[in-house]
Amino acid sequence: MAAYSVDLSTGNNYFDLNDILASQEKIPCIFNIAVEGLGYLDQSTPDPDIGVGTKLELPLWLAKYLHRDARGIVSVETPKTYREGYRQILAADPSVVDLHRLGPHFYLGGGKLALFNLPDIQDVLKTLLQTFQGRFRRIMDGSQNALHTDLTNQINMLDESERRLFAAGQRGLLEFQSWESRESEKLSTSSVVLNQRKRKWVGACRDSGD
Amino acid sequence: MLAEKALDLVRELQRSLDGTLPPYNEDKIRQVLEEMQTLFDQNKDKAHFAAEGQTHLLSAIQLRHAAIRRNKRCLLAYLYNRLEQIKKMRWEFSSVLPSDVKYNLCEQEVQWFNQYNRLLANYMRSLGENGGLDLTQDMKPPKALYVLVRCLVDHGEFETQDGTTILLKKNSQHYLMRAECEHLIRQGILEHIVQ
Amino acid sequence: MDPSEVEFLAEKEHVKIVPNFTQDTIYLISGDIGPFVAGLPVCVPLWLAVNLKQRQKCRVVPPDWMTLEVLQEKKQAEMDSRFFTEMPSPFYIEITQLLLQCATDDIPRADEIRTLIKDIWDLRIAKLRSSVDVFIKSEESHAKLNFLTLMEINTVREFLTKGLDHMHQLKSNLNGGGMASNSQFL
Repeated sequence: MAAYSVDLSTGNNYFDLNDILASQEKIPCIFNIAVEGLGYLDQSTPDPDIGVGTKLELPLWLAKYLHRDARGIVSVETPKTYREGYRQILAADPSVVDLHRLGPHFYLGGGKLALFNLPDIQDVLKTLLQTFQGRFRRIMDGSQNALHTDLTNQINMLDESERRLFAAGQRGLLEFQSWESRESEKLSTSSVVLNQRKRKWVGACRDSGD
Repeated sequence: MLAEKALDLVRELQRSLDGTLPPYNEDKIRQVLEEMQTLFDQNKDKAHFAAEGQTHLLSAIQLRHAAIRRNKRCLLAYLYNRLEQIKKMRWEFSSVLPSDVKYNLCEQEVQWFNQYNRLLANYMRSLGENGGLDLTQDMKPPKALYVLVRCLVDHGEFETQDGTTILLKKNSQHYLMRAECEHLIRQGILEHIVQ
Repeated sequence: MDPSEVEFLAEKEHVKIVPNFTQDTIYLISGDIGPFVAGLPVCVPLWLAVNLKQRQKCRVVPPDWMTLEVLQEKKQAEMDSRFFTEMPSPFYIEITQLLLQCATDDIPRADEIRTLIKDIWDLRIAKLRSSVDVFIKSEESHAKLNFLTLMEINTVREFLTKGLDHMHQLKSNLNGGGMASNSQFL
């Protein structure tokens, strides 16, 4: 295994949970050769083997393994949400698109497509970058401005990495505001304790509800 | 689907990384290990035939191998991220974990916590000249030596540094040295009152 | 950094007070303070000024810039300029905050001053956000901003570094850099 950095914040790390979830995103695969004993991957047929030409959506980590092989067990296609049609929508006005619906790990998963020899990969990667640039301002303003208005709608439309960014912006604002109101002088109960209690409380309610 | 259970573990942990630690999911971990064992055994059988020239078996072998590695990554990430969280808790709670947190750790994690605890304590004792320096204190710049606190729960007796014993009874108020009661505030036993 | 840590740094700034007691010089690692003579102005660190004021041992002399005239001018200059203008103190917001909290009676028209400082702060933060957005869109790898204060930088620090990390990752995907690092883990 190659050396890895221990910094988990960049999302490119062996132990990074988000990276693991992103590599679970699906990519359309076509089997070039028949494979014995793998029929269970295709739940639509009881056949124990996979025949030539079978089309399956496989997680990126699995597809990469089958695609990397010199004999090319599968060929891959660009996932629908990264194809020309969606790229045009994103180019028109990236800030209004519900990115979370296109893929909860839109950027991280999209970046992993670079591992496959897709003909339009350069366009996909360019779209990722331009989409983020186009949406950045709204994420920043949303996270910094309207602390008291309802942000649920906006947050729902962000992909997971954008949500982490949004949360970071809010943390900065909240910390400043609690300093401004002298709230930060007060020693407070650790958030770990509070969350643990909340969890326990919710658990207790659920138990008694049954 | 292959490696699905291992992914459940990752999802479960990722959902709760807001500062809490879910119970160590021993059951699921065992299931993942069983899946890995099964995949490994299948590969061992088939590898024998593949070596004898039945190369059409190779694809399936490789795929199972990929699934084993995927499972391994998920398991390690699960354990590693839990350790990171436990390490953070040492700084939040000081050396004693609340019982409901401790309840969610597996035995090895408790051991690891104790060892980390000892390392940190040794290091802090070695700092400076007069019996060390508690790095977990005054995480924010302190404003005053003494603080006014109110008890949120019945905690029992508490001996202060000057030797007097006070009773920390629910709703009672005390004027204590900040250094002495900071941990109790973080643990939610006392509430800091700012005038 | 937590804002309270930024405030801690600001508390090393000196302000002028008029003590109502007399005492010899105090020798501290960070420098000598005093001597104090009742009725004579003396410069002390902000933390000490706040402490003395809270115990009613002194009167605070507001900094030169803490007047309506100066701050109105500053505000106008900040509005007129495309860039950040230089603040009268790198810790203007912290000093205002602390002095207005404990020494309102020593500062003429304290409420209006509070509002003006807040206006200037808002103007500058809005400017900061626009600059950050331009920076992200321009795909430059570095930028130089003069006269930003620590507290201002601090409010966007985590957001900005996370945002830039994200940009960097998307860019290195494009340059093929992402390929090598991505391929290790799937």
